[in-house]
Amino acid sequence: MSATIIAQAEQAKSTSAVVKRRRTTSPGLLFALPHLILFAVFLLAPTIFGFYISLHHWHVLAKTHPYVGMANYSAALTDDIFWLAVRNTFYFVILAVPAGNLVSLLLALGLNSLRRGQTVYKVMYYMPVIISIAVVAVLWRWLYNTEIGLLNVYLKGCVTGLRHIGLPLPPFQPVPWLSDPKFAMPSIALMSIWWGAGGNMILYLAGLGNIPDDYMEAAQIDGANAWQRFWAITWPLLRPTTLFCLVFSVLGSFQIFGQSYVLYAPGSGPARSALTMALYMYQQGFSEYEIGYGAAVGYLMFALVLVFTILQFRLFSQRDDIQPKARRAA
Amino acid sequence: MIATGCGDDRTSGHSVDPSGKIVLDFWNGFTGPDGKTMEAIVTQFEHDNPDIKVRMQIIPWGTYYDKLTLSLAYGGAPDVFIVHAARLPEFASFGKLHPVGDLLQSTSPPLTQGDFAPRPWNATFYKGVQYALPLDTHPGGLYYNTKLFKEAGIVDANGNAKPPTNLAEFIADSQKLTKDTDGDGRPDQWGFVYTNFRSNWITFATQFGADIVSADGKRCVIDSPESIQASQLMHDLIYKYKIAPRPDGIDSWLAFRQGKVAMAMEGIYMLDSLQEQTGLQFAGAPVPQFGPVPSTWAGSHLLAQPDGISPERSRAAWRLMRYISDHSLAWGAGGQVPARNAIRQSPEFHALTVQSQFAKELPYVHYEPLIPKDNSIFQFVDPAIEAVLLNLQSPQVAMSDAKRRVDQLLERP
Repeated sequence: MSATIIAQAEQAKSTSAVVKRRRTTSPGLLFALPHLILFAVFLLAPTIFGFYISLHHWHVLAKTHPYVGMANYSAALTDDIFWLAVRNTFYFVILAVPAGNLVSLLLALGLNSLRRGQTVYKVMYYMPVIISIAVVAVLWRWLYNTEIGLLNVYLKGCVTGLRHIGLPLPPFQPVPWLSDPKFAMPSIALMSIWWGAGGNMILYLAGLGNIPDDYMEAAQIDGANAWQRFWAITWPLLRPTTLFCLVFSVLGSFQIFGQSYVLYAPGSGPARSALTMALYMYQQGFSEYEIGYGAAVGYLMFALVLVFTILQFRLFSQRDDIQPKARRAA
Repeated sequence: MIATGCGDDRTSGHSVDPSGKIVLDFWNGFTGPDGKTMEAIVTQFEHDNPDIKVRMQIIPWGTYYDKLTLSLAYGGAPDVFIVHAARLPEFASFGKLHPVGDLLQSTSPPLTQGDFAPRPWNATFYKGVQYALPLDTHPGGLYYNTKLFKEAGIVDANGNAKPPTNLAEFIADSQKLTKDTDGDGRPDQWGFVYTNFRSNWITFATQFGADIVSADGKRCVIDSPESIQASQLMHDLIYKYKIAPRPDGIDSWLAFRQGKVAMAMEGIYMLDSLQEQTGLQFAGAPVPQFGPVPSTWAGSHLLAQPDGISPERSRAAWRLMRYISDHSLAWGAGGQVPARNAIRQSPEFHALTVQSQFAKELPYVHYEPLIPKDNSIFQFVDPAIEAVLLNLQSPQVAMSDAKRRVDQLLERP
């Protein structure tokens, strides 16, 4: 008798648990719904539709859009301008990511060692991040101006000054920051580092804050100098943050668009030296109105970024776990 | 009348306002003083035509065609809009324009070929069908700084600045006008400057008989010996004769406005920007003849209607188009050469000194290729011209590269 009662009670408990679980899932779904709808409408559907478009010869004004299979893809893969854009994009990633992360790390280390005024500097270095790239590019176009740009004016002052004190330097030649194909991408990278360094700086600062002070104290008592402390403690413990910053800078840098768009747009720079993948996709789609071809370029870019993401996440899982704290700081 | 960049209150197909007036949408890209001129003409039109209300939207040229193209593709197109001569074949080839030939003939008095300058008139046709009413021509002409000319002693018998008319004069004058005034070994006053690579190149090249595409529009001929010769000459003006600055790192048009450059070849629509520069003494002249034939780049504004417009709205839109054309003297005063012969021949137009000088070029103006892919070919042509002028590639290499790419483009369906 009592056994049945217990059994019944347990059964009741378990059914009520099922009911309860059901109750908890449906509000959860409701809460997620706004995001899911937005995600579906603005991300998932366009992504799928974009792939559909990429299989068609699709001019904006045309009344019919004939199916062409993989023709847009093969056209892109045999298009030397597409490959030039790929090369330029890789060049930008190589220029901007390591140097940019180094700058962010140095800024963070500097700020971390400050006793006072950290917030002021943090805000100052972070400020460029919140400026729109359009504004940044317009500003830097003036800094880079060959004739009257601030950079060349300063350089001229430096060179002339050094010549005055007897250094055997050649007379100053204005640097064609933006108009020489050799300089275009490095100039863009420099500008981008200035623009974005503050973002990773915040992440590195958070990473540094996570390193317990005891380690440093212990090392100091053991007689380690600042250099040793950095290599033995800070750098290894900062590795998750470093990896996180690197991965996200690489992903962001592959999608570089605004810099070239605002500084150069149409042909994109001297000898197309500033033409990037994202810009080429945009131009084919929205300047030439060849949406199908532009979509194909977009998907090729997606594939490339995907490969790099997978590679990098492999790197993550092998080397270290990403710390949840660093993730949250992002 | 609404003249805002982005009228979000406009509902497409909202054809009649509460008082029963027909409401017409009119789009153009006249963001400068020309927009004010057009606005005045439109206001006058509304006054004379109380049954019509015009909503004019001025969209900067930089984004104008994006917006126009999308509206023609997906709906919401205006009832009347400006289209450049070089862009008409693209829209016409996709069947996005409303034929206007009947409207021209049925109007009273009818407008015929004889009322217009031939080149803008011909540019309104695509495959024999007329799709637009020609409003104006804006040829490139020579602007020159009369003060600098006088300082350099380049004057005629009356002591007035004398613009060059051929290549020899042009180079000789430019050499006199190129000066290193502060003695740093680099000139800071120049004889000439390239302000618009594309239109400047078209002027030089067509004077040598070169063009971008063949007469039938089927293949690219930009690597012809004539084209190479003209491109080489443009290159030499910078690097051999050293009478023009390397066209980077300087705002070349600003340099002309500020009197650091004595000559520039620009569209007549730049006139306003010069007139507002205080202290600048300048005049206009036809472009010098650099090559064997006289020619200069030009564009034309045409007035068009969208495909699928209702007959009633089309007629109302036509009244606006006709009115603007009839009143294009005011348009000319704003810095354009009207397409209507009667207006160009009027004494009032002759009183406009620069405009009437540039109008002399009308018989030999040269448009960008009037083919559906005009807009697309310049993604290859512009960088080639730039590569030559920046000394990045030889004319031969740059132009054969452009030819290969443009040919590929023209072969694509």
